[in-house]
Amino acid sequence: MEALFYIFSIIAVFSALMVISMKNPLTSALYLVLCFFTIAGFYVILGMQFLAAMQVLVYAGAIMVLVVLVIMLLNLSKIKKIKMDLHQIFIAGVIFIILLAEITIYIINGYPKKPTGIYTHALINKIGNTQILGEFLFTKYILPFEVASVLLLVAIIGAYLFAKKKS
Amino acid sequence: MSINGYLIVAGIIFCIGMLGVLMRKNLIVIFMSLELMFNAANLGFVAVSNYLNLIDGDIFVIFVMVVAAAEAAIALGIAVAFYREKATVDIDKANELKL
Repeated sequence: MEALFYIFSIIAVFSALMVISMKNPLTSALYLVLCFFTIAGFYVILGMQFLAAMQVLVYAGAIMVLVVLVIMLLNLSKIKKIKMDLHQIFIAGVIFIILLAEITIYIINGYPKKPTGIYTHALINKIGNTQILGEFLFTKYILPFEVASVLLLVAIIGAYLFAKKKS
Repeated sequence: MSINGYLIVAGIIFCIGMLGVLMRKNLIVIFMSLELMFNAANLGFVAVSNYLNLIDGDIFVIFVMVVAAAEAAIALGIAVAFYREKATVDIDKANELKL
């Protein structure tokens, strides 16, 4: 588990760096798929197989297919010519270093909180994590679940309105 | 593996995503960096939820995925509309509000 964690984290950070540094957006998209797969691997290590499956199906499958399809619709040779501004990169790098230092200091200095819930690793494996997620989703979180369906409807209508030609 | 490792990896990926949003000018790559930030936040949720023996964080990840899917449809629709208007996806060309 320990070794797997280190392998996954190295691949995840490397592919995330490649996503933002590649000139061709299609290459970035493929590296992003790699990053999503490694994050699915993290979920499996943490004992959440259902979320790993959702990660692969929804993110690496549906969303990335959408992105690649849109890249195909646009003119790739024209997109590749977009230049980066050196001044902007410098400012972004400074903000990156400051934010990373803040997060690291915050995580290292935070005092450990005691586990409060009852859903230990053994219990989740005994009941099955798909069943447990389903029970929570349809009892305690039923209102957000319904609101999410309305949100998806709004997204369908919005995407149609944005993408249609002006008559 | 202790929880700190997962949180630090999530933090690094989040910062890389933010760097991409700030320094790239291609609308599609900015969108992909946003997805990277969503995923880093998801990883943090799952790690903390696993550490505290709770399920609520995992449920929240599902909702984040729903919002990300809706956002993907809208954002790529905007990208296509923008390309149709300007024949490019360079965000520096979106300067109609400039005086």
